Amino acid sequence: MLPFIAISVLLAITPAYAVWPIPRQYNVGSTPLRLSSSFSIKLSGVHNAPKDLLDAVARTTAYLRTDKLQALVPDRGASSAKAIRSAKTLNSLSLSISTNAKVRSISDEAIENIESRVEGYTLTIPADGSGAILKANSTLGLFRGLTTFGQLWYDWDGTTYSLEAPFDIVDAPAYPYRGLMLDTARNYFPVSDIKRTLDAMSWVKINTLHWHVVDSQSFPLVVPGFQELSSKGAYSASSVYTPADVKEIVQYAAARGIDVMAEIDTPGHTSIIAKAHPEHIACFEASPWAQFANEPPAGQLRLASPDTTKFTSALIKSAASLFPSKLFSTGGDELNANCYAKDAATQKDLASQGKTLEQALDTFTQATHGALKEIGKRAVVWEEMVLEHQVKLANDTLILVWISSDHVQAVAEKGFKLIHAASDFFYLDCGGGGWVGQNVLGNSWCDPFKTWQKAYSFNPVANLTAEQSALVLGGQHLLWTEQSSPHNMDPVIWPRAASSAELFWSGPGGDVGKALPRLHDVSFRFNQRGVKTIALQPLWCALRAGACDLDA
Amino acid sequence: MLGAFIALIVTFVPLGANALWPIPRSLQTGTTLLKLASSFDIKISVTNPPQDLVDAVSRTKGFIQNDKLQRLVVGRGANDSAALGSAPTLPGLTISLLNNNAPRAIATEAVQAIGTRSEGYSLTVPTDGTSAILTANSTLGLFRGLTTFEQLWYDSAGVTYSYQAPVKIVNDIPAFPYRGFMLDTARNFFPVADIKRTLDAMSWVKINTFHWHIVDSQSFPLDVPGFPEIASKGAYSSTEIYSPANIQDIVSYAAARGVDVMMEIDTPGHTAIIANSHPEHIACNQASPWTDFANEPPAGQLRLASAATTNFTASLISAIAQALPSKLFSTGGDELNTNCYAKDSQTQADLKSSGKTLEQALSTFTQATHKSLTDLGKTPVVWEEMVLEHTVTLPKDTVVMVWISSQHAASVASKNFRIVHAPSNYFYLDCGAGEWLGNDPTGNSWCDPFKTWQKSYTFDPFAGLSTAQRSLVLGGQQLLWAEQSSPENIDSIVWPRAASSAEIFWTGATLPDGTARNVGSALPRLHDIRYRMVRRGVRAIALQPHWCALRPGVCDLRA
Repeated sequence: MLPFIAISVLLAITPAYAVWPIPRQYNVGSTPLRLSSSFSIKLSGVHNAPKDLLDAVARTTAYLRTDKLQALVPDRGASSAKAIRSAKTLNSLSLSISTNAKVRSISDEAIENIESRVEGYTLTIPADGSGAILKANSTLGLFRGLTTFGQLWYDWDGTTYSLEAPFDIVDAPAYPYRGLMLDTARNYFPVSDIKRTLDAMSWVKINTLHWHVVDSQSFPLVVPGFQELSSKGAYSASSVYTPADVKEIVQYAAARGIDVMAEIDTPGHTSIIAKAHPEHIACFEASPWAQFANEPPAGQLRLASPDTTKFTSALIKSAASLFPSKLFSTGGDELNANCYAKDAATQKDLASQGKTLEQALDTFTQATHGALKEIGKRAVVWEEMVLEHQVKLANDTLILVWISSDHVQAVAEKGFKLIHAASDFFYLDCGGGGWVGQNVLGNSWCDPFKTWQKAYSFNPVANLTAEQSALVLGGQHLLWTEQSSPHNMDPVIWPRAASSAELFWSGPGGDVGKALPRLHDVSFRFNQRGVKTIALQPLWCALRAGACDLDA
Repeated sequence: MLGAFIALIVTFVPLGANALWPIPRSLQTGTTLLKLASSFDIKISVTNPPQDLVDAVSRTKGFIQNDKLQRLVVGRGANDSAALGSAPTLPGLTISLLNNNAPRAIATEAVQAIGTRSEGYSLTVPTDGTSAILTANSTLGLFRGLTTFEQLWYDSAGVTYSYQAPVKIVNDIPAFPYRGFMLDTARNFFPVADIKRTLDAMSWVKINTFHWHIVDSQSFPLDVPGFPEIASKGAYSSTEIYSPANIQDIVSYAAARGVDVMMEIDTPGHTAIIANSHPEHIACNQASPWTDFANEPPAGQLRLASAATTNFTASLISAIAQALPSKLFSTGGDELNTNCYAKDSQTQADLKSSGKTLEQALSTFTQATHKSLTDLGKTPVVWEEMVLEHTVTLPKDTVVMVWISSQHAASVASKNFRIVHAPSNYFYLDCGAGEWLGNDPTGNSWCDPFKTWQKSYTFDPFAGLSTAQRSLVLGGQQLLWAEQSSPENIDSIVWPRAASSAEIFWTGATLPDGTARNVGSALPRLHDIRYRMVRRGVRAIALQPHWCALRPGVCDLRA
């Protein structure tokens, strides 16, 4: 009767593999398997298992019990009920460390040098009901494997099951750096929101929180010896991160395989320091701000001043000492030369030292980086420090490429290791419209919105030689928070930030068509776990893999 | 040292950053601090006050007690503390009606025919130690006045106070009778609790119509008496359904808050999901490629040329509409796909046997569904295509929603229909979030860019209309299509942006001082209502860094 129309009612629903990021070697079968009511995770293969591993096992056990995620198919699993009822049962998952090395905590492993972390694991889940086995060379690897194991199961009528046994998984990340950046200065985020975000990050194996903790608008970090900065620069007495808060966040992160790389952006993005130390800030709240900064309020550290340089170095040293990470960012983006040109103190300092602004910036940066080196830290900077300025940087400095993915090659040509953070792929705030007032037709500076599909299609080694490709440590999504706050944090970040997590764990070249059903899956699982991810599509589409593709 | 080149911003005095949103059409404020007396109470000087008025008063008292919003200035009002010690106090608020008619419930007033509702009120808040006075011609007007009164108060160290007393508002009546918000609950489902929270927020900015796009091609979450199979086979799950009791709950909740629920059953397009229970009524169900048959997946439209389908649809609409108190009901009518019908052999056979063109059949179909509404005393509402793209006979009082472009309003007006402004280029809240279709990495939002509150706020309801046509404009609304939304982001994507149209259509073109409404003076007030919403549990998005919210004007483009 409808000879022209291909009816897609019987669109075959390929089981949507839940796991995200997809393991490097992932072999699955098609046999139903359910978790025994007495299912347990055994640590007998780990001598003196550290507390954070025991906790991770407990969390995984809880997720298996409480996720209660139904399969994303039109009947949510009803038609599999019979197969599930008659499935073999899995009684246990046994963890073991496969080296003789001393067992260290996940937290210790998580903050190792970025190039030397051991995150791989193997996971075998037989279809016949015999025990599952998770092996790794580190507790961090075991943790990654537990995360994978926790994503394999669905719920139907109280039974926790998979339709895809046996599983044979061999996994390790393609890139060592997989991050998420959060700006807590434009708007403040309470510790509980950061912890929830850390949980979510760990579920997709993100291993670095790049914490852009302060900026020109507020200084919420309580730095020992510099308490006046937060007492006068935080939004309120309660909108601060105390050393105890930082410790709590850092420990919470590390126990979840996440290194916290903090950033004190310098010399720009520091206006708020003037509230406590006006002597250190040039063009403080100068107007019109557009001549002195990329956004209001204007204000930059007086980089040519020896006093300001000493102050900044001591501040960074104290702030960095709060964080166990080997990495610490001194920022370095969006330096406004006009601010210094118009600042009499800076001009006087430059004249008395016979330096150009660039020479002074070099001295300033070497001082702050020297302070980091003294405490065994490695400096991280935004791309301008190598592409726009003449600053001598240590060879091991890490460069964050943000202005454009097209700048990656130029950074690589200078021989620096780099982290992808390109605004044209990974900025989560783009597309939110203009936020500056009295600007009716203003648009997001980095419009359009960066969809998960766009980010997912990023090529980390585009235009790089094989040798240069080795300089790529990984990448991250970023949330600048001019238009974000705890109220929209979950939906603006998730599940989009998971797309770079898979890109840099599983490697590039993934197919967005095949990825979407899995991304829906991880998103719905996040929701079950209390992270308010945004809907990527109507539920109708989420239940019908491929049916809402452009070309379906 | 920098004096020659740089104008330092030491202090910035916000001029009239009243908290009120929408700003009253008449408003005089002073500069006196006024405290609420610890014994502050609201006296209802109305004989036999209806229960929903009593409830509204107790909500107002609750907000005044619990908002605890600090002023959005540097220091958050700490500087007011000293002066508050000796500030005058307000002992109470007395509310009364200006006529001797038996008071009707807010809920009754709220569902009167559009254009006949009485929403105005007058409010004086003196500083001489006497009580504030709120008067109106209706309980609905009193409710609007209570909403205004709630927004006057701030907290400093536990003291509830206003910094702009005395306040005098004379006859604040809305510029337009229709001030709406549309929610799509079919692309993704929204539980009753989320809808109620949204209705609360709507009432806080005096929005008076909830346009409920309740079903669509993806799901049919409405349990219709006599048609239970449509939801049982078409809802996302047995729990993602609005039962008749849920509908009554929502309608009552809305009406008690001055909000009329205008429901929409979109026809004949956007109906694929009906095929799950009634395949006989749907053409091109889930046809592929969907782009040939619909604007988004899945394809499927009611067989408008079928007499059986026409009867079915008219009965369905009647069954739904008769349970609703609103005088307005939308039969939709957008995005009809003619190719779907061209390829549907049954429709072709029906057309042939009746000797009608598709347009003639559409007119017959629409007249049947609209008759089911007019038989119930309802006025039909349609999307603009029904008058601009099709040749359909519509009742003269049909309300037409302009959505494709604001520029189409003039064409609708030239056909002499009443208009509700809902243009995608100003009021679509979903725009700018990127492509949602799969396998399209370079795709963008079809209505990119994001519509900022500033853009929405500059909408001119009379653009392109003659003076005579202006009376056709009933008002307007912002809209949330939910392909990329769900309960997880509803608050942050809707608020505070949807408040911008609420002010356009309440306040009109001019501020109480006679100057033109403008984004510069609006932003501090919009921040204020946003922060107040957050205090009340609505997760409204941050419009700017908090630093900017505390410094009116300082983050303006040319500040």
